[in-house]
Amino acid sequence: MKQAYQYPDAKRFPMKDFDMVKEGILSLIVITVLVLIVAAIAGAPYRPAVTNQQVAMQSPLVIEQTALGDLDGSGSIASYGPPYNNGTGSVQSIAGFSPQTWWGISYPVNTATDDVITPLSMLASASGNSQLAKALTTYQEAPSATQAKWNQNLSNALNKATVVGATVQLPAGNYGPVAYMMNSELQLARSGLLSGALSRETNQGVYRFNVQNNLLFLQGDALHDIAGKTDLSGEQWGINHDEQAYPGPWWLTPYTFFYQVPPWNTSAAGDEMTAYTVGALFLLLMVVPWVPGLNRLPRLLPLYKLIWRDWYRDEKNRKKKNKLGPEFDAQLGQNH
Amino acid sequence: MNLTARIRKQVSEQLSWDRLLPSEQPAYVSSLVYSFGVLTLSSLVVVIVSGIVMSAKSPVWYQTSTVGEYFRAIHFWSVQAFFFFMTMHLVVQFFMGSWREGRALTWVLGVLSFGVGVLTAFTGYLSRGDFFAQWNQVQSKDAFNGAGLNGFFNALDNGQIYGLHIAVLPTVLIVLVAWHLIAVRGKGVVPPYPIEDNTGAKVGERS
Repeated sequence: MKQAYQYPDAKRFPMKDFDMVKEGILSLIVITVLVLIVAAIAGAPYRPAVTNQQVAMQSPLVIEQTALGDLDGSGSIASYGPPYNNGTGSVQSIAGFSPQTWWGISYPVNTATDDVITPLSMLASASGNSQLAKALTTYQEAPSATQAKWNQNLSNALNKATVVGATVQLPAGNYGPVAYMMNSELQLARSGLLSGALSRETNQGVYRFNVQNNLLFLQGDALHDIAGKTDLSGEQWGINHDEQAYPGPWWLTPYTFFYQVPPWNTSAAGDEMTAYTVGALFLLLMVVPWVPGLNRLPRLLPLYKLIWRDWYRDEKNRKKKNKLGPEFDAQLGQNH
Repeated sequence: MNLTARIRKQVSEQLSWDRLLPSEQPAYVSSLVYSFGVLTLSSLVVVIVSGIVMSAKSPVWYQTSTVGEYFRAIHFWSVQAFFFFMTMHLVVQFFMGSWREGRALTWVLGVLSFGVGVLTAFTGYLSRGDFFAQWNQVQSKDAFNGAGLNGFFNALDNGQIYGLHIAVLPTVLIVLVAWHLIAVRGKGVVPPYPIEDNTGAKVGERS
């Protein structure tokens, strides 16, 4: 059949019948049926999200230690750096190249105020707890050296503290109001209200999409403990794994690979190095058509002979049969 | 030259029905590997349809109701199929050197589709609303921050992740895939590499 705008190659090669629409419909039916069946049999991976309430019940010490780290500035987020604050603890840089710092503090977090003082003020106000209100005032009005002393004493004590039920038993010591504050934070977490008190970025309470501060609070020991048990840590090819026997996002394998080998897994700027290495490899893949050597690689590897084996076989047979060589081509070219 | 006339000529050639819906194809198209493209596309259709149903309800629906969970499973497995066939398609097209003879743009669009597909799936994994999502949010924030993407992306903001996942990235992906398909149909599939038979004569080359 002659067509007005057929493929340019149709003039160079013999053509055969092809029903594209039928192939498309068949393919869609096959995929849909397969997916519906597998989904019905296997379901999808799901492990309920972790809440501060659960952590407070199961590991009350983790809540108190995290809150104290946020209050005294020793927690990892308190000194993280951009985009959360002015710290330098988690700023990544390769020989001075540090795009992380280019945008300033886009999502500000003051862990002491945001994670401890404000939620506890809200709790004191909501519950009419004058003792907590007084503790907060005492703490905020104390000289910073005194605050540091209380925090340090409590930090040491928490390492030796015992957990009875869901409460933390401390040895006697000079903790000022901080022990009471941390216990109140634990109570707030146990009640289930801490997460809401942390995720406060909202438009008058209507949208609560940004869960940043809640996740930053949970991200330390609480999530790491569970992740380590389910092989989800970075050094365990984390993101590649999903729950139980389900396939994970295996297509991220090239990305997670770099987290397993030096220098990417030993550098403090490992994330930055990996991101730019993978970015560069992706660009290379994109420009393969123009990379000398790489663009001839498939010609050197014999796989194409397998893919087009029918065509090469038929062509050899045809040439043998016709014994016309180039004239055959010319003749065929005229026919198509 | 008249711009209108040039565009009309280009469009009527590149987007002609003869090319978009061909009823014949070159004789060298004779292998199952040619199905990987259409299987990728079919998987993407199932991904999009199941995703539309999920977004029409709500993130809580697909985590708490039986029907919602089934749709989440359909979405999950169609994404697995999508990446499986897309990876096979990419690998096979590489070994066919399918950028040859004026098809470089087709290759670039395909690779870009893969990249945007990965980002779309990643924001989907962060939208699962379970522990896997939580964990990968806090883990990936360091990667996004370190790479310098913190200026416009916050992996801990579910509103942004969800918006990117259900609107922004799929739109980009659909445009890229559509453009990729038009490029494939415009040029046709790549001809085989010419080879020499045992007499030294070229086989399979017609020019």
